Amino acid sequence: MLLWTAISLMTGAAILAVLWPLRAGGGTAPAASAADLAVYRDQLSEIERDRVSGLIGASEGEAARAEVGRRILRASAETASGAARPSGADRRRQIVAVVALVGLPVMAGGLYLKLGSPALPPQPLAARLESRPDQSDVAILVRKVEAHLEANPEDGRGYEVLAPIYARIGRTADAARAWTSAIRLLGPSAVRENGLGEALTAEAGGVVTVEAKAAFEAAAVADPRDPKARYFLGLAAEQDGRPADAAQIWGALAASSPPDAPWMGLLRAALARVGAPVAAAPGPSAADVAAAQDMTPAERDQMVRGMVARLEARLAQDGSDIEGWLRLMRARIVLGEADKAKAAASEARAHFATDGGALGRIDALARELGLGS
Amino acid sequence: MTRKGRRLLLISCAIGVLGVAAGLVLFALNDTIVFFRSPSEIAAEHTAPGSRLRLGGLVKDGSVMRQDNAHVRFTVTDGGADMAVYYEGLLPDLFREGQGVIAEGVLLGDGTFRADSVLAKHDEKYMPKEVADALKKQGVWKEGEAAR
Amino acid sequence: MNPEIGHYALVLALAVAILQTVIPIWGARVGDAALMRVGPALAVAFFGFVSLAFAVLTVAYVQSDFSVLNVVENSHSLKPMLFKITGVWGNHEGSMLLWVLVLALFGAMVALFGSNLPATLKANVLGVQGSVGVAFLLFILLTSNPFIRVMPAPAEGQDLNPVLQDIGLAIHPPLLYLGYVGFSITFAFAVAALIDGRIDAAWARWVRPWALAAWAFLTVGIAMGSYWAYYELGWGGWWFWDPVENASLMPWFAGTALIHSAVVMEKRDALKVWTLLLAILAFSLSLLGTFLVRSGVLTSVHAFATDPTRGVFILGILVFFIGGSLALYALRAPMLRQGGIFAPISREGALVLNNLLLTAAAAAVLIGTLYPLALESWNGAKITVGPPYFNLTVGALMLPVLFAMPFGPLLAWKRGDLAGAAQRLMSALAVGILIALAAAYMQGGGPLLAPLGMGLAAFIVIGAVVDIAERGGIGRVPAATAFARLRGLPRASYGAALAHAGVGVCLFGIIAETSWNAERITGLKIGESFEVGGYELTLARVEPRNGPNYRDLAGVFTIRRGGTEIGTIESSKRLFTARNMPTTEAGIRTFGFSQLYVSLGDELPGGGIGVRAYWKPFVTLIWLGAVIMALGGALSLSDRRLRIGAPKPAKTKPIKDKPASKPDAAPAPAE
Repeated sequence: MLLWTAISLMTGAAILAVLWPLRAGGGTAPAASAADLAVYRDQLSEIERDRVSGLIGASEGEAARAEVGRRILRASAETASGAARPSGADRRRQIVAVVALVGLPVMAGGLYLKLGSPALPPQPLAARLESRPDQSDVAILVRKVEAHLEANPEDGRGYEVLAPIYARIGRTADAARAWTSAIRLLGPSAVRENGLGEALTAEAGGVVTVEAKAAFEAAAVADPRDPKARYFLGLAAEQDGRPADAAQIWGALAASSPPDAPWMGLLRAALARVGAPVAAAPGPSAADVAAAQDMTPAERDQMVRGMVARLEARLAQDGSDIEGWLRLMRARIVLGEADKAKAAASEARAHFATDGGALGRIDALARELGLGS
Repeated sequence: MTRKGRRLLLISCAIGVLGVAAGLVLFALNDTIVFFRSPSEIAAEHTAPGSRLRLGGLVKDGSVMRQDNAHVRFTVTDGGADMAVYYEGLLPDLFREGQGVIAEGVLLGDGTFRADSVLAKHDEKYMPKEVADALKKQGVWKEGEAAR
Repeated sequence: MNPEIGHYALVLALAVAILQTVIPIWGARVGDAALMRVGPALAVAFFGFVSLAFAVLTVAYVQSDFSVLNVVENSHSLKPMLFKITGVWGNHEGSMLLWVLVLALFGAMVALFGSNLPATLKANVLGVQGSVGVAFLLFILLTSNPFIRVMPAPAEGQDLNPVLQDIGLAIHPPLLYLGYVGFSITFAFAVAALIDGRIDAAWARWVRPWALAAWAFLTVGIAMGSYWAYYELGWGGWWFWDPVENASLMPWFAGTALIHSAVVMEKRDALKVWTLLLAILAFSLSLLGTFLVRSGVLTSVHAFATDPTRGVFILGILVFFIGGSLALYALRAPMLRQGGIFAPISREGALVLNNLLLTAAAAAVLIGTLYPLALESWNGAKITVGPPYFNLTVGALMLPVLFAMPFGPLLAWKRGDLAGAAQRLMSALAVGILIALAAAYMQGGGPLLAPLGMGLAAFIVIGAVVDIAERGGIGRVPAATAFARLRGLPRASYGAALAHAGVGVCLFGIIAETSWNAERITGLKIGESFEVGGYELTLARVEPRNGPNYRDLAGVFTIRRGGTEIGTIESSKRLFTARNMPTTEAGIRTFGFSQLYVSLGDELPGGGIGVRAYWKPFVTLIWLGAVIMALGGALSLSDRRLRIGAPKPAKTKPIKDKPASKPDAAPAPAE
């Protein structure tokens, strides 16, 4: 609001700068030679002063006087001939006034809206540092925690909070350092070791380095059933050129995971890569899920929508997957799209019109989701 | 003298002065310009010893040998060829191994270079443009590395 | 304050500048006083909006508002307040904004203090000034906008280059810009006169104060830049013929020629065509300098290639203004009436000589600066045109100017008496010869050039004194009369003499420093000593220190002369940790006008540290001379006569009941 007030005031001032001088009326300017005459008269009096004080000789002074005198004559003649009285002064003033009142705001406003960011508030650092912790200003949060850790370098909790944020904003090296400190101060845990391993892997551009592998191994020790550590250990084996070991690790993981575990898709893809048997039931891949954990809400929403769209496209081609239809309905509700959920329910019913069991499941879910039946 | 004659005199004086100035500029340009060469250009062209040059390239890693006080030997390389440089004086702040450098001096008969001034620019990201071009020619330097 | 306010103010300033370009020139063409009056109002508004934009940007720096990209890239929340503020113009975008601010300042000054100007001239001047403003505001808004925002805002900035975190760099760009951009006004006057078709002796008087002011600022700005390079770069050099320096020197030569030829034009109505050309050239060279520095063609062709928009844009501005003004000049100049005539030996003749040589020097510097570029783009050959070229050409061209300088003011207008002038300069010549002999004796052999140069410098200084004494008639008239005459002398005469004396002082410093300086490069361990320029320096201790954002290795030396200790000198090597960038902090001690200069090198393998020490005799005179020159310019500027003009047309407004078309306040019997 303040911004728009300031903008209006400035524009008003600019318009006034044009209109105010017009107010006094048009008319002819004084002849330019009038100003010349003043200068030449001064030159004459200066020559006179110099002559009286003896700075220049009498004859020199006389010659100079004559020269300036000639200039005066010429200028006077010009003044006498005068400039013609201008016509159409009122019309010109109208044009200028319109340009000022309309052209000026349009020009300035149009260019500003193209270049400026009127919605962005000012963000002086001091104010940002004082404000309540607000999730949207991640940079300041990081900075505050950093400042806190500088003062209390032994606070492991701080590092634990900071590390995933570093990872999320792409400062993977800092994330790895923070995880290391957290492990040093709080002791190893699966989450911390996994975080360290992931940060190191990301820092190395996706390669599970020796250090990263050590971290995942430590995580697996802390929690032998931890899927993330086992997945990455398999990846390390694959990158080391031991596909059989990788297949064994991943196979064990797949066997011990529930079939609808979020990482199963990724795992199946990985198993396929190393030539192990695959049982397909595509859901969100583990990579997708892992990525989703590190995403902002907007990005996560974006990802979910992408997955839903893919699911819908697949069902449009092959509508015989009852599980797919049920998942689509749920997803639509999660995304707040009740209409589309209803549409999905009726389409599913059309596909399973002869299958009583399937129809029952669809109706049950629809009731559960509050879609009516 | 008539008005016209005076003007003519004035103009011919002016032309005279400008002519002298032009001659001076041409003479000085001929006499004082210094060519820039990279080590591989010197090797390829068999540049005659005794000529004054600006030698540009990277300071070869591990080549800097400080003798006593302020006598330094180092090697300038552009990836294609090397050139040994001898310099007496204090090196600039940003002189470092592996960094760009320009040495001005004389090519000696034994194929080494005796520098009387060594330049390393006052910005660590800065790469003297001649050096950058020469290195690009040799494929040592990748586009965008120094410009950042 | 909201950065968006500054952004809008800048956009609005562009709109205002567009109107300022169109309305007053239109008014002047049709002779409409109301339209012409819009010019000054818009010029003031233009200045107001650009100042507001600059102030808002400064506030963003002071408050470390990292939602502004320019602040992120060039500031740091922990930087000292002074460098937060100077960081505003320590970068490309901010410095261009400063450029436009100075442009607007000069326009507003013409609007506010130009009441002595004829209305049409003033309107045209403001219109032309407005057009320059339009071009550069477009450049800023489209290619170098300092108000671009980032969201989300980072929590910390990337800091300013440590070499730029220095008080010398903080103040010399604004001074330099006041000079550079100040010539935009003389340019505007020249183009306005060409549009108007009226160029006469009075025009020269109106242009002179602006030319003088710009020249004085440029002089101080160059001197400040030179001193900054001297103490900050740690090489003890004070002039490198660097393209950036040349870019400021070229307009200085043209401007110096301009302030001299304008005198001829004012007094004798002669050299009009030439003076106009100089007014155009001085600003064209400023624009060229801006292009060379800002487009990055000189430091790196690569930089130009990665962001060609800026370079091409400035090149466009350059071509438009230089080409346009020169085309207008070619069209209108032949129509000008010839002015007064003069003999070759006369005050005018001397000033013509000065002008020719100064412009030739500017051209020589221009060729030397651009030749490597031209050659490289022509056949790819890489060459360097170094100090030898510039020293030779500029030196040879300046020598006759310097020698003729004391003669000029003593010659009469129209037809001078060279023998008479020489006779009156006998005393100065004698002093000069004495100094030269003394210098030769002190030097005891060696090149003769140094004593001769010092003699010339003394001749110039004493010549300036003789000039004033002659004007007072000292020795020819009774003392009381002479005193009265001296009191009655216009300030411009004192100013000119002072500026000429400044040239002599500066020359003395240059010659003494270049020919008598002593340099020692050595390696020292603690307790060891060496001798330079008759001073014995002992390395007392080397101590590491920590600054706020750097680590320091400081060497402390004790100075002895003739066995007695007379003080200490401290020099350090500083490593700025944020950018891992070393700088040299030279230790400088001033003795009289001379300086002892010590800078540290690297630590040596066998222990000890490299040391570079200079004895620089009379080195401060170089900058002192430049300051005296500028003071001379300022003194001339205070001359009452430069403000004479129209008989205050602004005070007599048309009275309501009179017909509006009646010409206001024409003193001469009109119509």
